[in-house]
Amino acid sequence: MNDEYTPKIIGFLCNWCAYTGADLAGVSRIQITPSLRIIRVMCSGRIDPLFVLKGLLKGADGVMMMGCHPGDCHYQKGNYSARRRYVLLQKLFEDLGFESERIGLWWVSASEGPRYAQVSSEFSEEIKKLGPNPVREEIFI
Amino acid sequence: MSNVLKIKKGVEQGVNELLKFLLESEKVKGIFTLRKMNENGAVSYSLITHPKELKNAVPLFPLMPVNAGKILSGFTLKKAINEPIAAVLRSCELRAFIELIKRTQGSLENFLLISSTCGGVYPLKSLTDGTFKEQVSQYWESAKNAEIASDIRPTCAACEYFIPQQADMTIAIVGKNDLQQECSIFLNTKKGEEFTIGAPGNIVSEEIDTKETTKLREKRQDQKKKLFDEFEKNGFGIKALVKTFAACLSCHGCSKACPICYCTLCDFDSKTHEYLPSSHEIELEQKGGIRIPPGTIFFHIGRMIHMAVSCVNCGMCSDVCPVNIPVSTIFSKVGDSLQKLFDYLPGKDIEEPVPSGTYKEEEFTEIGE
Amino acid sequence: MTATQIDSNKMPTKGAIIPAEEEINKTIVDIFKKSLEKKCFDAILIPVRVPETEAYAWVLLKDQSLLDEANPLPPIISVQGAKALRSLTKRGKMTQNIAAILRPCEIRAAVELSKLKQIHLDNISLISIDCPGAMPLSDYLADPEKSKKIYKNVLEKWGEDDSVRPVCHICNRFSLPSLLHRKSVKISPVEQDEAKMPSIDLHIGLLGGNQEKIFLIPVNPKGREILEKLELKSDDSLDLWQTKVSEVQEKKEKIRKEFNLELKEKIEGQKKLTAVFDECINCHNCMRVCPICYCQQCFFDSDSLTLSPETYISRAEKKGALRFPLDTMLFHLGRMSHMVLSCVSCGVCEDACPMSIPVAQIFSLVADQTQKSFDYTPGINKEEPLPLQDFLEDEFHEVETPSEAMTPEEVN
Repeated sequence: MNDEYTPKIIGFLCNWCAYTGADLAGVSRIQITPSLRIIRVMCSGRIDPLFVLKGLLKGADGVMMMGCHPGDCHYQKGNYSARRRYVLLQKLFEDLGFESERIGLWWVSASEGPRYAQVSSEFSEEIKKLGPNPVREEIFI
Repeated sequence: MSNVLKIKKGVEQGVNELLKFLLESEKVKGIFTLRKMNENGAVSYSLITHPKELKNAVPLFPLMPVNAGKILSGFTLKKAINEPIAAVLRSCELRAFIELIKRTQGSLENFLLISSTCGGVYPLKSLTDGTFKEQVSQYWESAKNAEIASDIRPTCAACEYFIPQQADMTIAIVGKNDLQQECSIFLNTKKGEEFTIGAPGNIVSEEIDTKETTKLREKRQDQKKKLFDEFEKNGFGIKALVKTFAACLSCHGCSKACPICYCTLCDFDSKTHEYLPSSHEIELEQKGGIRIPPGTIFFHIGRMIHMAVSCVNCGMCSDVCPVNIPVSTIFSKVGDSLQKLFDYLPGKDIEEPVPSGTYKEEEFTEIGE
Repeated sequence: MTATQIDSNKMPTKGAIIPAEEEINKTIVDIFKKSLEKKCFDAILIPVRVPETEAYAWVLLKDQSLLDEANPLPPIISVQGAKALRSLTKRGKMTQNIAAILRPCEIRAAVELSKLKQIHLDNISLISIDCPGAMPLSDYLADPEKSKKIYKNVLEKWGEDDSVRPVCHICNRFSLPSLLHRKSVKISPVEQDEAKMPSIDLHIGLLGGNQEKIFLIPVNPKGREILEKLELKSDDSLDLWQTKVSEVQEKKEKIRKEFNLELKEKIEGQKKLTAVFDECINCHNCMRVCPICYCQQCFFDSDSLTLSPETYISRAEKKGALRFPLDTMLFHLGRMSHMVLSCVSCGVCEDACPMSIPVAQIFSLVADQTQKSFDYTPGINKEEPLPLQDFLEDEFHEVETPSEAMTPEEVN
């Protein structure tokens, strides 16, 4: 074990694509970043922006949202809604001067195990560069 | 060019004349408008059904005790009205009503909507600290000259949407030099024209957008920029937000007064946001100290996520805040930017869906790849 | 069930006298720093100034450095302390030992809330403090610097300065004696031991100290234990404090009586009361900040009051006009009927009213009268049942129909 800082990242993964993709990455024995804590949701459309916000305000260093590619949603259109919400959240973060780099949305299909491993470790690296979430120190939040 | 009903009276008497005509000729069942409550200047919205009660009606009174859109929504929540009622309300109130209808919180049916080119309103606090009477004296003069009346609420001074979009009739105030002699009521829709058949006054043809209104719009836009810039000066990020909301009592009065926040039980008042003692203790362990009640920033940003895209900048949130937090400035700033993002103007078009309730397949396609 | 005179609740006569440094606040804060060091408590709930602002927020802290900005007696009440305590312990009891430093009205609200099962007082040490009142929120926010100076004066003059809020100016429960129980309460013998314990563990006396010393007064064995852990001897005489308390008490009772008589004149009767609430904009801020109004979904915010448009129109037609928002009077009087027996006159409702309606003064006046008729003082003993949860078979006969049947002549 080295003392290197490992960020804490929450990942909201849709059951049908991203989560299955993550599973595939696992069974394919691809190296996956240890920073990610996965929460499975039935659809990326279920990811309430408040989940993301709460995660960050409670001290997570980053939040990943993952769902099916556009057009592939198990529920036809959930990921389109997710995309709008993500865009809204991103803009809101920019307006308020929060680090919008701490959130991200990716489409990962059930067969994209390597892509899953790649985007999550890339994101983890970026968060590492950003350092710990300043909110963690904030008492009067 | 649209038809304008001209009544040869000062604007306030003129409007009352029209309301009296509507009620007496039984074209409408009742009139929903501001009414004087006492001599201090307190007003409240009322549904007036008898012409004799119209003597206390003050439709254009520069105070907003509550957003009328919220009241009309409550009025028609169970079902639409089946007899016509005339409602006199401001541009932002009308926009709020339309946003609420989009959310199935009311019905526009059978309403005759009368609005005005709005000169803004004074803060409710001016009533309680006694400054209102003094301030209001120069209100009409400023409106006449298309100036921003001093001491009106900062949100109003920065409001560029003072010309109502969906009204059947619009009372022209801004930049009307002959305000004291003549009352001009624009008939924007067929409905508006039909209801005024037989009304006192004569019809001429005029344009609602004038040099004067453009002048005021520009001034207000400048003011808006100033307001936003000033807010940005406080800095950005979590530190700045904590400072802004430092005095917040978590009374959630802003959400209660907000017309768009229509939920009977707000998520942030619900059990979802009650924490177990153990979770407090864990956080205490991590930070050494925690604010109680927790979640001040979470509430405000969360509420922003829920409603800012429909925010009509009516300013009620700031008005009811017991600790003078400039809530409406923050919300209108964020709202403005979110509305631009989705190319959406709340309350402009009743057919246009709320951005958070819809999507397009071909948008933001660069995201997620 | 037997009626028992609670005797262990009599006024403590001994305590510890601590010499104060220049600032009384600092002396108190230092004691609490020490208490964390000595592990009297695991954490402390106290108002702390938010950095770079003049606002105060409740903070539960265990990091001693946070106490530097703490103020046990800030010039304002921001969130009512009982409300803060409720947000902490509504869902269950704390496992750590927490000291909560509260004003007398906040303590009483906390005790009421524990009766209403909204606060778990287990593992919480309630520490009260002599309170000269708080300033109106709006005054303080308008000019914090000036207000702080005024408040300093308030602390020195005790009861003479009326720049505090009206309900504080007439408050007669500002110190320990009025927070202790003096009457017999119905309690089952099993509960007696605990019931005998006052809810307050430790009181911080400022009166009579002349800004030069403070009194630490243990009220029950737990309080004595705290002082022992702090290595403080609690056998100093409290005469100075007691004399001053009774002196101020007397003064306050008189002010209260006069004030309420005057207020009654101003608001009594339907016409006058309607005029007072005419300006209400129905924002329900008063209910939202009230510590006793704990309902998650207030009845007056619920759908029960939404009617069909026809009903509104016919109601309007009866009078020629119908005011909106509807039922503001129903809301205020309804809320009053729900909570006034537990009203502790803390005044946060009035502070939060954007229209400056004297809500707190009116509620406090009504509370005085209604509580008296049930011989109930809210927030004194956590075992005493709420008046409306309890009844005696033999009471209030005067409101019943006379039992003697009327004679035929009378009927005619």
